Amino acid sequence: MTCPFGLLESMFTIGVRYCGGCNPQIDRSRIVIDLREGLKKMGLEVELTTEKERAVDMVLIVNGCKHACLEAKQVESDCGYPVISVRGEMVDDQYVEEGDIIKILIQRICSFI
Amino acid sequence: MPMMTGREYIESLRATKPEVYFLGQRIKHIVDEPMFQPHLHGAAMTYELAHHPEYEQIMTATSHLTGEKINRFTHVHHGIDDLVKKVRMMRLLGQKTGTCFQRCVGLDGLNAIYVTTYDIDQKYGTDYHERFKRYLLEVQKNDWMPAGAMTDARGDRSLRPSKQKHPDVYLHIKERLKDGVIVSGTKAHITGAINSHEIITMPTRTMTEEDRDYSVSFAIPADAKGVMFVFSRQTNDTRRLDGVLDAGNPKYGIVGGEAVIIFQNVFVPWERVFMAGEYDFTTELVETFAGYHRSNYGGCKVGLADVVIGGSSWIAEAHGIGKASHIVDKLTEMIAMAETCWSCTLACSYEGYRTPSGAYHINPLLANVTKLNITRMVYEWMRVGQDIAGGKIITLPSEKDLNNPASGKVLEECFSGKDGVPPRDIIKMLRLIENMSVGAGLPEAMHGAGSPAAQKIMIERRSGIEKKIELAETIAGIRKDRDFETIVGKDEKTHWDEVRKKIEERRAQIH
Repeated sequence: MTCPFGLLESMFTIGVRYCGGCNPQIDRSRIVIDLREGLKKMGLEVELTTEKERAVDMVLIVNGCKHACLEAKQVESDCGYPVISVRGEMVDDQYVEEGDIIKILIQRICSFI
Repeated sequence: MPMMTGREYIESLRATKPEVYFLGQRIKHIVDEPMFQPHLHGAAMTYELAHHPEYEQIMTATSHLTGEKINRFTHVHHGIDDLVKKVRMMRLLGQKTGTCFQRCVGLDGLNAIYVTTYDIDQKYGTDYHERFKRYLLEVQKNDWMPAGAMTDARGDRSLRPSKQKHPDVYLHIKERLKDGVIVSGTKAHITGAINSHEIITMPTRTMTEEDRDYSVSFAIPADAKGVMFVFSRQTNDTRRLDGVLDAGNPKYGIVGGEAVIIFQNVFVPWERVFMAGEYDFTTELVETFAGYHRSNYGGCKVGLADVVIGGSSWIAEAHGIGKASHIVDKLTEMIAMAETCWSCTLACSYEGYRTPSGAYHINPLLANVTKLNITRMVYEWMRVGQDIAGGKIITLPSEKDLNNPASGKVLEECFSGKDGVPPRDIIKMLRLIENMSVGAGLPEAMHGAGSPAAQKIMIERRSGIEKKIELAETIAGIRKDRDFETIVGKDEKTHWDEVRKKIEERRAQIH
């Protein structure tokens, strides 16, 4: 994995949006906590925020299952930002095991930085 | 070619010459065979309603390949709305035919192969998906009815396909040629097989590396060389030859007209092969198909329930007991069961999701729950229907005896009901309830789209039991409860220590 994190001028900010969490197949909060730690371990200066009013560089949608309640609406309202969507055991259109979600997310995020 | 009407569909079958056998005889023309008429009419309804303005909203769709209006039975679902309309279409057709209209198996096969071929290509760089899209285009352009052929004969269930004494109990590739494959084997219980234009095959179970040649999916015309059909028997099937009244549902029959399909050294060109050895995708194909198909049962069988509930109510009224409290109670029970299954199937669709191929799939857990409910509730609402209709549904005399001047008049008096209701109408309705509640429709609800054990396996696999354990552990105080700690503003141990202390203080005050 290559990532030009040393070249960032200001902190890269990711807006985190959660689905409602009615019956999640994955632990959504744990995904975000682990992602934050994973990015930090790699020395990446990335901020994750759930504040909806803040300007962000990209949006991470965290849906608890493949149905992805949040997806269409969120993509519309965040129009213009790059979006990564976790849909249960899927990241965007790729099937992944829950344990591999963080690895895939870091790869995707790096491709946007 | 535009969408066919019901009549045009039946006429289109004259152009096919499948090798069909029934009761020991070769059937020359399926369209003219009296035993097959009800099944043809049932499938024809799927074509006919697409032309009615009052049904076209659910019976037709817009092809994602061409943008043209097509019959929904040839459509690959591209949104939640499509999945919902699919099950609405199933209920509608169940209501219109009172039986199986056969075309959903092919629809589910088309969708499952579409989804799986995309994923195979992603892994292996093959071009199955593009081939399949070209085939799908043909299906849509010609408005074909493909029979979905999944279940193999299977032989000894304890042995893998490649270990069977008779290799042909599973469909398999015998030879790989430059221009295609040669296949042999047997598919059993295939709904609508004899009156379909095409056959699309899928493996029946998860295969392993040693079963590579059994991991095969393809499409062929129903009259391809080497393909033979043996039409299956059904309860009371020859009643059709005894008289219209005796048949119960002479227009649309009873279940789907299943057949055994025997493939003997059949050549399939590569262009129509969609899986040839990718055993690691057999689970996906089987489960995707099963998911789609099991969700349907909460649509079509509920449509049948609507008919049998209506029939039971009509009979009670004709017998003069329509307002009796026990009848109202029983009808209400039937309605509640049917609508429970309907709720399940709607939920499957509304909880559907987009697959990597872009096609939408139903929620597989809910689909299996739907079907498991169907395996029980169809028996139950039919039992209540029989209860309301009474024992006459199995003791009625024949149409011939009703027409016999020596016995007809007295029989009509014997089976009369409330004044003003023609006795023949009462007998017609009783025969319909007999047809729907006593015949092959019940085990079809049990085993069609897979037996209950298959649904339980899928439910268990997808239940997420570990997550449920976590929930219980959190509430029981075994696992950290972050939300609770936020509410009380401290960690749980500190909170409960304080609570215990307060209790002690309170107790001391009381004593």
